[in-house]
Amino acid sequence: MEGLFFNVNNGYIEGIVRGYRNSLLTGQHYSNLTQCETIDDVKLQLAPAYGDFLGALPPNPSTSALAGKMTDKLVAEFRYLLAQATGSTARFLEYLTYGYMIDNIALLITGTLHERDTRELLERCHPLGWFETLPVLCVATNIEELYNSVLIETPLAGYFKGSLSHQDLDELNIEIVRNTLYKNYLEDFYKFITTHSDLKGTPTQEVMAEILEFEADRRAINITLNSFGTELSKQERRKLYPEFGKLYPEGSLMLSRADDIEAVALAVSISADYKAFFDAVGLTQGGSGIGGMGGNSDGKSLEDLFYQKEMEMSKIVFTRQFTPAVVYAWMRLKEQEIRNITWISECIAQNQKERIGNFISVF
Amino acid sequence: MSGAVGREAVFPTRQSLGLMKGKLKGAEIGHSLLKRKSEALTKRFRDITRRIDEAKRKMGRVMQIAAFSLAEVSYAVGGDIGYQVQESAKQARFRVRAKQENVSGVFLPHFESYTEDSINDFGLTGLGKGGQQVQRCRETYARAVETLVELASLQTAFVILDEVIKVVNRRVNAIEHVIIPRTENTIKYINSELDELDREEFYRLKKVSNKKQRDVAAADLEIQASREREAQKQLTGAADKETPDAPDVLGEQEDTDVIF
Repeated sequence: MEGLFFNVNNGYIEGIVRGYRNSLLTGQHYSNLTQCETIDDVKLQLAPAYGDFLGALPPNPSTSALAGKMTDKLVAEFRYLLAQATGSTARFLEYLTYGYMIDNIALLITGTLHERDTRELLERCHPLGWFETLPVLCVATNIEELYNSVLIETPLAGYFKGSLSHQDLDELNIEIVRNTLYKNYLEDFYKFITTHSDLKGTPTQEVMAEILEFEADRRAINITLNSFGTELSKQERRKLYPEFGKLYPEGSLMLSRADDIEAVALAVSISADYKAFFDAVGLTQGGSGIGGMGGNSDGKSLEDLFYQKEMEMSKIVFTRQFTPAVVYAWMRLKEQEIRNITWISECIAQNQKERIGNFISVF
Repeated sequence: MSGAVGREAVFPTRQSLGLMKGKLKGAEIGHSLLKRKSEALTKRFRDITRRIDEAKRKMGRVMQIAAFSLAEVSYAVGGDIGYQVQESAKQARFRVRAKQENVSGVFLPHFESYTEDSINDFGLTGLGKGGQQVQRCRETYARAVETLVELASLQTAFVILDEVIKVVNRRVNAIEHVIIPRTENTIKYINSELDELDREEFYRLKKVSNKKQRDVAAADLEIQASREREAQKQLTGAADKETPDAPDVLGEQEDTDVIF
């Protein structure tokens, strides 16, 4: 039924995104890239996919410049999609940008707290997280003003409301603010795709709910693992867990009480997927401590496995039709591709070829 | 060489000779002391050079690993965390203590690094994702900075020692090739001057004594002459009175034999 009228409004966008998807690099491309000797070779290899954007780069560009140009392409393509979208799809696409907005706002708040020139901060903001009132944040000189007059005008106002007051902005570590916002954002997004009348009961709800649940669980696990050994208390930690996902509520409760990696492994064992990840990186045996979390013998860390899973889920999204979720999947895949290329070019630039295969390619 | 260094402007007296001899002795002692100091410093210097070489190689390796771990962070976090870390770092976690070390009278600064484990300003960076990589990267960079601090302390010591060794060597060479030859020259000069004076004095004395002898001889002659003259005078007076010619009994002329 949802397929009947989908293409009237959104068929063009879906077509475009599927076209974009076809330009994603495949395993063949990656194996070509890993053979490169210099960044220029990488640039040459990327020419079919990124040609017009990389053309302006000087010979032997830095990897960050390369990544910047690739991000520019992603931004340009996404903006085009956003301009084409209408109705609930447009709303859906806006939701995608909120994550970047949170990063930008966290950046600006950090700058304001330390009384930096916020104008130069604007240049560092992620272009996808740009919104009209973002430059206005520069006007605010102190946190109270920022909160009362500026933040409530932003699309993120709802995420601040109820969970953060301006006193919090002063005292809380910006990282906690960011994660609180992100939690609220994920919950709101989840609510949007499960309750919005246009999306409820469509493939969008199915695939996005799965992806968002995974995202929520991943955040909860990461926050727990990363908070060991810091001054983050268990109550505060619990407030950062998104209140949905496969681990919610029992797993979240167990995570919030976890003191070490074994407890985390126990908490996530209610989900077979995560248990498999923990088994794969050997965290369940214990004894490896924090230092062992980074990676094991084959160089895969927990984060890598999460990324891998995310990419596979994103790939599967393309098997569904009549849904804007492909845009989300395409963005994630594209971001991973940029990370992969950055990693490969870093390895080439630093002449550390032995770990060059440590990227994630799903096509 | 020794001919070119000349001598000091002193009066060739016995007093200055004594002074010069003292000076020469002092210079020789100073020379051997400085030489030993220079040797000790050079030994140290070589040691430091070797350690700098090692530290530089280590730095190369460590910095490479550190840069790579930063690449890992940017891969895991998927963005730039530089600004966030800059802003949230308020106190130095990695600190350096400076000490002084005495190597044969030269004060070499020595830097010692230590970490304040209680300070953990950006422990929450990458809380959502990549936190472990951030922490690991920090540890790698802490090790890299440790190597840099070690290298800095060695380099400073290197520069200072280099300077000091140059000064000491210059002194050693100056004493060896200028002061000692010059003092020796001066002593030689004073000695030769004194000898010259001695010879002059001797000659003068000889002359004086010659003259005196001549004078004495002349006076003797005169006295003799006057005595002779007087004796002549007396002799001529007596001859007038007595028989002038007594026959020489021991003479050649034949006497008539006396027969008993």
